[in-house]
Amino acid sequence: MSDRKADLKVRLCGVRLKNPVIAASGTFGFGREYDALYDIGQLGGISVKGLTLAPRCGNPPHRVAETPSGMLNAVGLENPGVDAFISEHLPWLLDKGLAVIANIAGSTVDDYCRMAEKLAPTEVHMLEMNISCPNVKSGGVAFGIEPDMVYAVTRAVKQHAGQPLMVKLSPNVADITQNARAAEAAGADCISLINTLTGIAVDAKRRRLVLANNVGGLSGPAVKPVALRMVWQVCKAVGIPVIGMGGIMTGTDAAEFMLCGAQAVMVGTANFADPMACPRIISELEAYLVAQKVRKAGEIVGALIEN
Amino acid sequence: MVEEQVTVLDAEDIAKDIYRLRLHAPQIVAQGVRPGQFVHVRLPGNTTQLLRRPISVMAARPESQTVELVIQIAGEGTRLLRSVRPNDRLNVLGPLGKSFDPHGAKCIYFVGGGIGAAPICCAMDAFAGQAEEAIAFFGFRGAEYAYGLDNAPCEVRVSTDDGTLGRHTKVTCLLQKAIDERPPDLILACGPAPMLRTLQNMTLRLRLNCQLSLEEHMACGLGACLVCSCKARVRNGTQYHRVCVDGPVFDAREVCLDV
Repeated sequence: MSDRKADLKVRLCGVRLKNPVIAASGTFGFGREYDALYDIGQLGGISVKGLTLAPRCGNPPHRVAETPSGMLNAVGLENPGVDAFISEHLPWLLDKGLAVIANIAGSTVDDYCRMAEKLAPTEVHMLEMNISCPNVKSGGVAFGIEPDMVYAVTRAVKQHAGQPLMVKLSPNVADITQNARAAEAAGADCISLINTLTGIAVDAKRRRLVLANNVGGLSGPAVKPVALRMVWQVCKAVGIPVIGMGGIMTGTDAAEFMLCGAQAVMVGTANFADPMACPRIISELEAYLVAQKVRKAGEIVGALIEN
Repeated sequence: MVEEQVTVLDAEDIAKDIYRLRLHAPQIVAQGVRPGQFVHVRLPGNTTQLLRRPISVMAARPESQTVELVIQIAGEGTRLLRSVRPNDRLNVLGPLGKSFDPHGAKCIYFVGGGIGAAPICCAMDAFAGQAEEAIAFFGFRGAEYAYGLDNAPCEVRVSTDDGTLGRHTKVTCLLQKAIDERPPDLILACGPAPMLRTLQNMTLRLRLNCQLSLEEHMACGLGACLVCSCKARVRNGTQYHRVCVDGPVFDAREVCLDV
């Protein structure tokens, strides 16, 4: 990393990241599968598969549908539970030397608080509170729609959190800036957005919905313009750091989010098309900085020239 | 498992809506490709279709460092993949997944239906010679859909839905007759879901060892994204297995194929 031509290091809520590229929750498991292809220690961080208090087996298949420039998924928060994460995956991940973000999803405020409590004594670097999973009724989306609910759950969890608390916002709302402000007012340390946009896929031949869950979450380049707009708006609305995501496939895509004000980015669906997407995006982002004659990644954050 | 930019040697139609890609893939072949494993192929060009296509390996030849894939045109992605020409490059990830395991069986029956015949050909080439008795059963919709029947290392019995090739019956009926004569130690099968369900019922009833190769839409292909699930029986009930890494080959006793 020392031969970097630009300084990619960023600080996020006091956590040092080697670079601003973080693997997005739900697309990267706990990192082991991708570590078979490359050393995931070179990433800025990983947001692990969404954790729940008890293990969940997820939705029946089909769980995926390809869409133009994107995909719908309805996995339904299949995960081994927060305890298994702490005992079986966290030590390995911490050894890899990247920032570890524990993504937590609850069906009650108490669920979130108890998970935050369990994670507080661990060396997890940050919590990402998923109040926006569209694929299960109890996946937290109930807390992610109304600003009052965003405020209430964030405030409660903040009191139990031992690490900086990131709130992941749903784009399926009337005005995302209100929810961002509510999270900030309740004590959130950071905001990540966007989670997937809800959608359905229809199999015309069979006259049926493709996903067993009917509704899924849309991700990939198809959502990037929406994600950029929301990140741009939220960065203007709040003072806490913002992590942008939604359809990032290249270093230039990552730079676009940072220009709109994101201090770091998350890469999700791109990992499926190109399993080497994250390290490639890091290199491409560095090349962008060099081409822009910028020496530090932080210098492009919010550096958009507004009309 | 490696990610490799492979070179297309040729693409050839071998049956109706079915083509064969021959790829020069030295790195993937060097990993040792076992029958039943698949590769995850990125679609060529600047397509808006982002997801890779998981394709079972029909043959992997160390001497020529080639991999052969037989692909059915099932949608826009597999149609696009047909358009590749010799010397084109494709991004391929593999080999992936669990393979068939012959367990030293003395009598093996191979069962392939439709496009599911491809991995069965691979298994037959690898395992038929090791067994005392081996018979391959292939079922196709009709003669024009048939492939993979030449140069088989064992006896081959064919059925078609329309009677234009082999026996005019279901491949599972051919199999049942053979089982009545001599029950095998092991059945290896791949094919459409109804065929696999019939086979599963048959082999569970007769207490025969059977391994089924399943198909499911995939995203990462590595076991990380959890979209390619299939329901499986475990001690305390059921849970979802990942077709990409826990399969695609499963013991017939293990998976639930109910619709």
